[in-house]
Amino acid sequence: MSRKHLATIKDPDKEVPKIAREMCAEMLKELERANRPVLEAIKCSLDNSFYDHKVGYLTPGEKTVKTELNVSSVLKMSRSVFFLEILLRNLDSGAVNTKRELYYIAKGECKQNKKLKPLDFNDQVESDSIIDFICELMEIYREEINCFANDRGGQTYCQNLIVTEHMPDGTKATIDLSSLGTTPFQPKNRPQSFTIKPKKGQIDFCLVVESEGTANTLVTNGFTKRHNAIVMGAQGVPSNGVRAWAKTIQDQLKIPIYFLGDLDAYTMQNIFRTLKAGSAASLIRNKDFSAPEVRFLGVLPDDVKKYDLTNYNVDPRDPVEGRSLKKAQDALANDPFFKDKKNKGVSEILDWLIKEKRRCEQQAFFMVNPKDPQAFEKIILEKIKKKDYV
Amino acid sequence: MSSSKITSSSTAEYFSKNLQQVGFSSGTKAVLTTLKEAIDNSLDACEEAQILPEIHVEIERVGQGTQKNMDQIRVLVSDNGPGIGAEDLAKVYGEYLASSKFGRGRCSRGQQGIGISAATTWAQLTAAKGVTVITKTKRMPQALKALIEVDIKKNQGSVIEKKNITWDRPQGTCVEFFFDGRLQLQGEGGILTYLKGTSLVNPHLSLKYKINKEEEISLERVSNDTIDLPDAVSPHPHTMKLGEFIHHIHLFGKVSVQNFFEKGFSRISSDVTNEMTKHGFKKAWLNRSLTDLSKDEQHKLYQALQSVELMAPSTKSVLRIGEEALSKSVDRLGEVDFFSVVSRKPQICDAKPVVVEVAVARLKNRPSAEEEQSAQVLRFANRVPLQFDKAACAIVKAIESVNWKAYGLAQPKNSIPLGPYVIAVSVVSPFIKFKNASKETIDASDELVEELRLAIMQAGQKLSRHIKKELRAADYEKKIQHIEQFGPILIEGLGRITSASENQLKKAREGLMKILGRDSEVALEDLKKAEEAHQKMTGKGGASSLSEAGSEEEASSGQETEKSSDKKSSKKNKKDKNDDEQTTLALEGDA
Ligand SMILES: Nc1ncnc2c1ncn2[C@@H]1O[C@H](COP(=O)(O)OP(=O)(O)O)[C@@H](O)[C@H]1O
Ligand SMILES: [Mg+2]
Repeated sequence: MSRKHLATIKDPDKEVPKIAREMCAEMLKELERANRPVLEAIKCSLDNSFYDHKVGYLTPGEKTVKTELNVSSVLKMSRSVFFLEILLRNLDSGAVNTKRELYYIAKGECKQNKKLKPLDFNDQVESDSIIDFICELMEIYREEINCFANDRGGQTYCQNLIVTEHMPDGTKATIDLSSLGTTPFQPKNRPQSFTIKPKKGQIDFCLVVESEGTANTLVTNGFTKRHNAIVMGAQGVPSNGVRAWAKTIQDQLKIPIYFLGDLDAYTMQNIFRTLKAGSAASLIRNKDFSAPEVRFLGVLPDDVKKYDLTNYNVDPRDPVEGRSLKKAQDALANDPFFKDKKNKGVSEILDWLIKEKRRCEQQAFFMVNPKDPQAFEKIILEKIKKKDYV
Repeated sequence: MSSSKITSSSTAEYFSKNLQQVGFSSGTKAVLTTLKEAIDNSLDACEEAQILPEIHVEIERVGQGTQKNMDQIRVLVSDNGPGIGAEDLAKVYGEYLASSKFGRGRCSRGQQGIGISAATTWAQLTAAKGVTVITKTKRMPQALKALIEVDIKKNQGSVIEKKNITWDRPQGTCVEFFFDGRLQLQGEGGILTYLKGTSLVNPHLSLKYKINKEEEISLERVSNDTIDLPDAVSPHPHTMKLGEFIHHIHLFGKVSVQNFFEKGFSRISSDVTNEMTKHGFKKAWLNRSLTDLSKDEQHKLYQALQSVELMAPSTKSVLRIGEEALSKSVDRLGEVDFFSVVSRKPQICDAKPVVVEVAVARLKNRPSAEEEQSAQVLRFANRVPLQFDKAACAIVKAIESVNWKAYGLAQPKNSIPLGPYVIAVSVVSPFIKFKNASKETIDASDELVEELRLAIMQAGQKLSRHIKKELRAADYEKKIQHIEQFGPILIEGLGRITSASENQLKKAREGLMKILGRDSEVALEDLKKAEEAHQKMTGKGGASSLSEAGSEEEASSGQETEKSSDKKSSKKNKKDKNDDEQTTLALEGDA
């Protein structure tokens, strides 16, 4: 059943409630025929990930995961249908919730309706996994079912940016980022639905800094006053909000985006790759949650040499560091993103990290000219000017 | 009781005053010890004569005892053994230290010739009457019936009444005692526990017993093999204490030391005597007569022997019950759910050959309240049940040191595990070291405890396969209940979302029932398969083949944890084709 179902879901203006009802009708029909309903979802794993640099992000292959009604899946299926009801109700009314809130809403339902009692959730992990399962089945992301996480990161500073948000109630909110000081604008919920434009003329570039603290330092020291640029803090592994925001900046402003972070395998694979091309776990939503134009500005292996930056040894015997080295080797061998010729620059950095077993932090640039508070800023500008990025 | 009399006192006099040391310290113990000594003798005699033993036991309370809080008890034990010649009767039942087995390095039950004479003494002291014996050897034309008493002063037996009678069998011995005692049937010192244990470790024994006015119980033999008693070994010098050594010297008397070494021991070669000279032994002694050695020289001899390295004694002298026979015998413990047996190869522990055998069984139909009770421990030394002073016993120490939780049993810390289990551990050795004269506690040397522990752990591992299988069966049942519970909820949810008609829902419910039926069939079939595989596995005997079987099973029932919201059925069997392993991947992919 699901194959033909998938076709419907891929419909560009998909209507979540409609898909959900069709899916349930199909399950019921199978049961009437004494057949086991089968739910089919795209397999979200590296071995089903494909990368084409012309597309720019990881896309799913043909592999699917089938869940058939049986002893071990019956609870999961019952819970999924039960949760769909809650989510559909939210979509109907326009209400939104976090995963945590949904966990309690589900518990409340189970408490009020004795018949549902056996479905009750013991912890949020259980309810989260059902929400994720529904998203996979319907090939939607949770924002499409009005489920929003408290997204981390994305703190944005700019003297030349106007953001317009379309509110659920039909009203509009407009934010002029130049009216803010050192307190950032932070996009929430669905940044794809924001309309953004420069206050005047064009913005030159966007700089995404791995450390939100360092992003704030740059701004407080006057970066956005001196340069017609957007500065954004990623705050570690980019959340859905950060990813969607970067994508929105890329698509609507069409300006170069540079990423600045630590020189280590974790940053390359988990932070930069996710920002630029998405992840295997989020195959179905990479399209809307990645910014393929993002460039890696640093720290580059050459910077370490050129600026004589303090760097550290990576000990393969250390359990954490050893594992990340192993993962990097794995990525070079199996990750279609790093294997693509177009991303040779990035995979060369990964290769360098494995061979040299060194790592260097973004803040190391502060040692270059310690007396000059603008030294870091100058290095960044110089690197951009010289196209010293990959 | 003047001191002059004591100096000339006989062994019999000594024992008659110290009966508590040899198992007559209480009324219940008196019954048990009398029964035990008689049955031990019957079994030993049958074994020696290569006869499959048939033993008949009668125990009853016949009236008031002569002492306070005592009953008069009658114990009768008859056997189909070789019988006792008329000339030996007085010796056997009325004389201490008259044994055909003494110091022979065999795994026989009786060792010192104390037991049965002590029982006679007790009967005499408390009921003023010795033991009534009927016995017949093949050669005797008629059976002989006699009352035998102990002449305590002389350490001699005296035959009081003696007459020829016709008996119902070609050969055998029957003893009957009346004495003060108390009947305790169940529990650790209980008679039934003793009889149960004895039948467990003597698969070739047919036992009939009648207690009080109860109906006679008959336990048929489960093995038709007579016991091949291994040849006796000469004692190994390192297994002897100084006292025993000196006793040994007295037994040999007027022979040369050289001769004593050759005939009296195993493992003393000329290399050994050369080595002994470094430890105070004089070569010249070899040609001297044993009786000429002074006390001091005897000590030196002993010390020199203990100081040299000797080859370990041969393990050939040790008898094994064997896994097959033990397995059959386990069923006589009562209604057994499942069990495991382990028969270890003979080992050397503390320079003595020893065989450890273990049977662990779970009993059926025990009330659930008993789940919390400790497992019953049956201890055996040379196939004799040990029923007292268990705490310090090597066997108990070993059981407590095993982590039974790993095998699926509940166990308070460092204790005997809980539940309706019987843990039977048998130690067989020509030289068992006991902690005391009543021979109820095996000395817990590190080496022996370790050997016991190994055997018990093996048995536990085997048992755990049964327990796991059982859990698997419970798992299937749970799975079926699972779908019965959640199926209807699923249908109702679907109905609400799709606004389906009641007719549709009814049909869907019927469809679900059909699916359910198919599922239970599959589950049942899987369970059957697992049971068959299990039977195949347990059908194989022998410790080595069992470890193979273990890995085989491991492979077929590998359990994996499913990372899904469905925690209750997170353990699953790879064989279960219905399980959707792929779901697991999907969820992990989004981790
Ligand atoms: N039921 C019996 N049938 C044949 N022989 C017996 C029987 N009971 C005792 N005997 C003989 O009498 C001997 C002495 O027995 P006992 O005093 O119990 O000493 P032990 O059993 O330690 O040898 C035994 O060694 C055995 O030869
Ligand atoms: Mg005896």
